[in-house]
Amino acid sequence: MDAAETLRISVRSLRAHRLRAALTVIGIVIGIAAVVTFATFGASLKADVVSEIEGSSANEIYLVASEADEGGFGGAGQPVFTEYDLGQLRDIEGVQRVVPRGIVPVSAIGHGDQTIARSQVTATNATAFATATFEEGRSFRNGEREAVVNRPAARLFDGNLSAGDRLTVTRASGDRENVTVVGIVNGTGGQLPFSSFSDQPRVFLPADPFYQSVVESPNAVGNQFVYPQVTVVTDPGDTTATKERVRGYFAGDRSDAALLVPDGYAVSAQTNDDLVDRIERIVTRLTRFVTGIAVIALVVGAVGIANIMLVSVTERTREIGIMKAVGARSRDVMQLFLAEAVLLGALGAVLGVPLGVAGGWVATRYAEIPLTLAPGWAALAVVVGVLVGVVAGLYPAWRAARVDPIDALRYE
Amino acid sequence: MINLSATPGTGVTDATERTEAGTDPPPGAAGRDPGDADTVVELAAVTRTYEGGATVDALSDVSLSLPEGSYTAVMGPSGSGKSTLLNLVGGLDTPTAGTVRLDGQDLAALSEAERARVRGRTVGFVFQTFNLMPRLTAVENVALPLVFQEWPRADRRERAEELLADVGLGDRLDHQPTELSGGQRQRVAIARALAADPALLLADEPTGNVDTETGERIMDLFEELHEAGNTILLVTHERHIAEHADRIVHFRDGEIEGVETVVETGDGDSEGSGAGTETEDA
Repeated sequence: MDAAETLRISVRSLRAHRLRAALTVIGIVIGIAAVVTFATFGASLKADVVSEIEGSSANEIYLVASEADEGGFGGAGQPVFTEYDLGQLRDIEGVQRVVPRGIVPVSAIGHGDQTIARSQVTATNATAFATATFEEGRSFRNGEREAVVNRPAARLFDGNLSAGDRLTVTRASGDRENVTVVGIVNGTGGQLPFSSFSDQPRVFLPADPFYQSVVESPNAVGNQFVYPQVTVVTDPGDTTATKERVRGYFAGDRSDAALLVPDGYAVSAQTNDDLVDRIERIVTRLTRFVTGIAVIALVVGAVGIANIMLVSVTERTREIGIMKAVGARSRDVMQLFLAEAVLLGALGAVLGVPLGVAGGWVATRYAEIPLTLAPGWAALAVVVGVLVGVVAGLYPAWRAARVDPIDALRYE
Repeated sequence: MINLSATPGTGVTDATERTEAGTDPPPGAAGRDPGDADTVVELAAVTRTYEGGATVDALSDVSLSLPEGSYTAVMGPSGSGKSTLLNLVGGLDTPTAGTVRLDGQDLAALSEAERARVRGRTVGFVFQTFNLMPRLTAVENVALPLVFQEWPRADRRERAEELLADVGLGDRLDHQPTELSGGQRQRVAIARALAADPALLLADEPTGNVDTETGERIMDLFEELHEAGNTILLVTHERHIAEHADRIVHFRDGEIEGVETVVETGDGDSEGSGAGTETEDA
């Protein structure tokens, strides 16, 4: 029998039991809507996180010595990068700037009669800041008692700090250092990618003269500053190739870092893209997990279809007998019942997708992130709805097809 | 007015007393040569056994043929094998032994799907309980066999409308079965049985669920169909219904007990003097 007639008869059958059909469809709607909600929320979350990270720093490579299985973004890392390494890195093709980052443990920072407790400030060099990040003033000069602060740090003090203000930095050891603020950078200036999540106040000092971590360089002679983090700024467009060259430098035993790195730790060189990939993978995995739970709701809906179709087959045994007596083949009967199940599934999917998108919208509003639609998921949901109908309807339809017309016509 | 020579008005007649008197009107009684082109149904030594707790022979060694254009009634008490015969002839069931040929085709040799096709194309069923599809309209019910024969929709509708007009329901086309009386429903069912222009009409107690007057009108309709050349096999347990046929085959305990020929008077149909009957096996 042709598809149009199959559809017409199936629709008629479903209409005869509107409430029952509607309740069955609701089961599928909930399942599909749950899947689409979580998929939409996951997509939105990913898009939001990625857009936070993807800044202007596409041409930066982050070096850190972290535990080998952490992939390069865990914690502050081990201090292994020496001045010798920084020099070698500067000579690598494609490298524009090499910005080390070290920690100066402090107990407080004072301005005028106001003192604020801080545990650390960042030691770096004069090239750490991209010019565009300066809201005011300039970078400090190496070897001078100068400081750069970011805007959140400037706001910590009454009346905001501005260039020319004097700060008193109290080291953890108790020694006091007087410095002059020479520049104020915006929230993201000179930071590691993750830092932008929280606009934390930061104070930057020149490594010379404030940084104190030194180590005996294996390659050069004498003690050198040693840093836990280094950012390599590359020529734009050459980041990937430069990253490979940087990795090559650390791969052998040529670098100080390779010789200094403790057992179980490894030097990693990652770009923003690597970081974005990694976070995308994490969010995707999380989304899949939650969506997987939502799929359970869909399975319950499918069981609902199978259940109602079995009831329907029993109720319509006589009709099946009639159809067979007037020339319906088993496959015609199967087709009819399968079409009904598929209609239920497809209807559930078609209604469930917009509901799921609405659910995703609510979730993103609640989480205060922008809504990102996942059209692929919506299309997939409809396909899944149809498939659910097929799978759930297969056994009932097979039962219907196998009905013996003689028994069926006798059936009351 | 119908006159029946042998034991008019009574039910079952003793088969052994019957002799075939007239060879005239329906050419051919039970047991004609198989393969005859004019034979619509040919049962040869058909046995149908049901395996249950005990083995039951619903039909045993039955031979019967229905010539084209014949009108045959099957009578017998319940359990005599009437329904089994109908199921076998209609291609709903297959025999345990023997062959059932419908329009020359051995039904047992066909696949399930092919038998379904034969049911739709070669056989028209009319049931006691009408067996209309409850949610389809009259015209859709009549067109249903054509759906499975892959007729285009417009052609189906046209054919169904024609047939409904023929059975006097031209004004009830889009009514659902629940909106029709019993007689009307049965006429829809008859129209449905005729939809694919089948070689054989099978009627199982077609008047069993309607009042006497309506029943007579239904039987008149069958009479018209017979006159139009349709081959009819009618199962009934009511003698006055069976007497509409040319020939009555009596079943008892799964066997043919006797065959009697009905002679109608006051009707131009047949001129045999009397009629009688006779038998296959003793």
